[in-house]
Amino acid sequence: MDLILAAGACDAENEIICVPESVNELFELPFLGFWNRTMSLAVLAALIVVAILYFGIIRSKKRLVPTKLGAFVETLVGFVRNEIAIGIIGPEHGLKYFPWLLSIFLFVLVGNLFEITPFIHFPITSRMWVVPALLAILTWIIFVVSGFRHQGWHYVRDIAWPPGVPTALKPLVGVIELVSVFIVRPFSLAVRLFANLVAGHVMLTLLLVSGWVFITAQGGLAKIPIGIGWFVVGIAIYAFEIIVAILQAYIFTLLSAVYVQTSVHAEH
Amino acid sequence: MEALFAVQAILAQLEGDISGSLALIGYGLAAIGPGVGIGIVAGNAVQAMARQPEAAGMVRTTMFLGIAFTEALALIGFVLFFLS
Repeated sequence: MDLILAAGACDAENEIICVPESVNELFELPFLGFWNRTMSLAVLAALIVVAILYFGIIRSKKRLVPTKLGAFVETLVGFVRNEIAIGIIGPEHGLKYFPWLLSIFLFVLVGNLFEITPFIHFPITSRMWVVPALLAILTWIIFVVSGFRHQGWHYVRDIAWPPGVPTALKPLVGVIELVSVFIVRPFSLAVRLFANLVAGHVMLTLLLVSGWVFITAQGGLAKIPIGIGWFVVGIAIYAFEIIVAILQAYIFTLLSAVYVQTSVHAEH
Repeated sequence: MEALFAVQAILAQLEGDISGSLALIGYGLAAIGPGVGIGIVAGNAVQAMARQPEAAGMVRTTMFLGIAFTEALALIGFVLFFLS
């Protein structure tokens, strides 16, 4: 239990904020033979996703009238299927990529929502190599492989030697396109999710801890309204973070779909 | 000439006084462009939705895409601020 609770990571009785020892903790590799809180939370998130799908779809389908959870999960799954998979990739290829899109959407969503879950308050997506970078690399592999499968050798040729560009500009545009497709895309996909969640986590921690410090510090009564003010701002940001968590999961899935779409369809 | 000396004197004075992380200033600079860009994206999306409400769903998806691409620059600045 200590591994999962945020307070278990440090000496919570003496320290107010559990500061990481260095920023390297944000970037450390997860699979080097040790186990930490982030990884137990990642396993928990995966179990929650499986449980949502099991109780929401398999159990709910056995009844004539779907349960409340079943209706909710069906809306979620239908949204990913219709708006993202079919809406972006297209009706003929979209369903092939739908399982991948659904699993990253649910996993990132649950991982993001850990940020505002009471007693956990820790988004697993704010550790670079545990979720965002790994999922971005997987998306990279998927869109490169599907590009080769659908367009063959033309996939790389059309990127490196783009048709419809004046011949004098082709080498320049080709280099820019190569860097942008194969390097910038996965990098920005990972950094976008990671940085959004780190920023939200830091902001929430600072505001709520400021409120706590102002209220409990020694001294006169004048600082208590200031502390309450911090709490009010912190709770406003808390609500904002719910939106950010859902939106970032949506954007991660949407961009993965857009990248796959660009390699499935030849022109643009 | 005197003005130049005055500026030099102020700069020499400031040299001792200004301290802190240059990365913070870098992050602030990195946030300017995307701030303007997201404003343009969202503003034009609102305009498009107001002019053609039946296209709102498509416009919203495209707006999120545009915001995500623009925002990435500011976020890279934010990460570099941590790394520096």
